[in-house]
Amino acid sequence: MTQQVQSTKEQIREFVREAAQRKGVTDVTDTLSLVQSGVIDSLGIFRLVSFLEENCKVRIADEEIVGENFETIDDIERFVTTKLSK
Amino acid sequence: MDFSWTEEQQAFRKEVIRFAKQELNDDLIERDHEETFWAEGWKKCAQFGIQGLPVPVEYGGGGADILTTVCALEALGYSCRDNGLLFSINAHMWSSEIPLVSFGTAEQKKKYLPKLVNGDWIGVHAMTEPMSGSDAFSLKTRAERKGDKYVLNGSKTFITNAQLADMIIVFANLDPAKGAAGISAFIVDKGTPGFTISRKLHKMGLRTSPMAELAFVDCEVPVENLLGKEGAGQAIFTASMEWERICILASHLGVMQRLLETSASYATDRKQFGQPIGKFPAVATKIAEMDIRLEASRLLLYKAAWLKSQGKHPLREAAIAKVFASEACIKSALDAIQVHGGYGYMTEFQLERELRDAVSGTIYSGTSEVQKMIIAGLHGL
Ligand SMILES: Cc1cc2nc3c(=O)[nH]c(=O)nc-3n(C[C@H](O)[C@H](O)[C@H](O)COP(=O)(O)OP(=O)(O)OC[C@H]3O[C@@H](n4cnc5c(N)ncnc54)[C@H](O)[C@@H]3O)c2cc1C
Repeated sequence: MTQQVQSTKEQIREFVREAAQRKGVTDVTDTLSLVQSGVIDSLGIFRLVSFLEENCKVRIADEEIVGENFETIDDIERFVTTKLSK
Repeated sequence: MDFSWTEEQQAFRKEVIRFAKQELNDDLIERDHEETFWAEGWKKCAQFGIQGLPVPVEYGGGGADILTTVCALEALGYSCRDNGLLFSINAHMWSSEIPLVSFGTAEQKKKYLPKLVNGDWIGVHAMTEPMSGSDAFSLKTRAERKGDKYVLNGSKTFITNAQLADMIIVFANLDPAKGAAGISAFIVDKGTPGFTISRKLHKMGLRTSPMAELAFVDCEVPVENLLGKEGAGQAIFTASMEWERICILASHLGVMQRLLETSASYATDRKQFGQPIGKFPAVATKIAEMDIRLEASRLLLYKAAWLKSQGKHPLREAAIAKVFASEACIKSALDAIQVHGGYGYMTEFQLERELRDAVSGTIYSGTSEVQKMIIAGLHGL
């Protein structure tokens, strides 16, 4: 379980780091607000959802794509882990 | 992998074609010229059950799955030549009904959905602004919470069905410091003080589908009209665009089928140099290419819809289908005109309108360029 949490988080970090790089944002922490910092824009949120569905094997409903689930790397990880444990 | 429609879907498809051929093609040349929306056609479609297709049965809808809905809309596109009416219906379904189904409270669903489904009310989606189109989330319309109201200020443009609106889903930023995370969606009812239709817009095609600009000046909306949570605007917009990108071109498939059949038939009947023009390879090739485009568009669109029916978010597939089918329809409309020669260019042959109607498919619901950016983005670009 611990291992899965770590690897999920690592995958999310990697995705976000790549997205940030493209936007010229370098200082990415687990608590950085991704939308506010411009790392995730209107297209980025689509990509992130597809990425999580593909790589973390979760199904994300339309109404779950809200700030509280996607604000920071920590939030995304919490959201995915909760879904996986259900 | 199963590429066939079920027997029920096939029967429904036939029924839609019968209905539309009988009921939906009145006075179209004149209505297109005069830019007249056909309220009776809207009502007939609602009574048949079109507007309610993707809405749950408990709110008066048909509760149809996305593939059955696509099947019906394709049949409608084939048999109803009023592309403007169908566009208005699509905008209403994907960007008003679907956000309510996915994000509405029980009260909001009960209040709006039955009337949106039965044809009494028309829903509108107001995102685009004069300074924000493709970059939708850079919108400038502001919302401010004041007691038990939200106050909206700003303007919207290119809003389909605006003049007919009974309810409008308006996107505004409640907390600009948060950027796109501050965007929220509000339901503005017809007649709300501070909301006006500021200007009617005239279009190249889809002329029977009304469009206008909207202005909001200190427009007070009760707090219970917030759709979803504060800050959920991005999610609501994203979700409805996903549905729209997959489904809005289903009727284009029907249009392409109609153009193909009309052109093949004309190429058989029309004789020049002592033989049917279809015997000339240059003309026959056009017919074949129209069929190739139709088939490829169908497969792409069905696949995106199928993925959605499996609970997935087919970002890549929806973008590919949207670009391909919209561009294919324009090319096929041009080919149809060319096959018909001078007659194809004449209004009475009703092909020039098909071309004018098709052009905007590469613009609304995200331009072709934006779709390609989405696709390229998935390759790390
Ligand atoms: C028939 C029709 C109905 C519509 N109905 C509605 C509606 O009901 N509600 C609503 O809110 N809106 C509606 N719209 C608006 C529509 O969503 C916008 O027109 C569309 O998103 C494009 O925005 P824009 O027109 O401002 O063009 P812009 O965003 O200014 O784009 C201009 C050009 O630049 C290109 N471009 C922009 N950004 C990029 C980029 N990053 N990379 C490459 N190229 C780029 C575009 O592809 C386009 O070719 C409608 C539009 C049409 C045509």
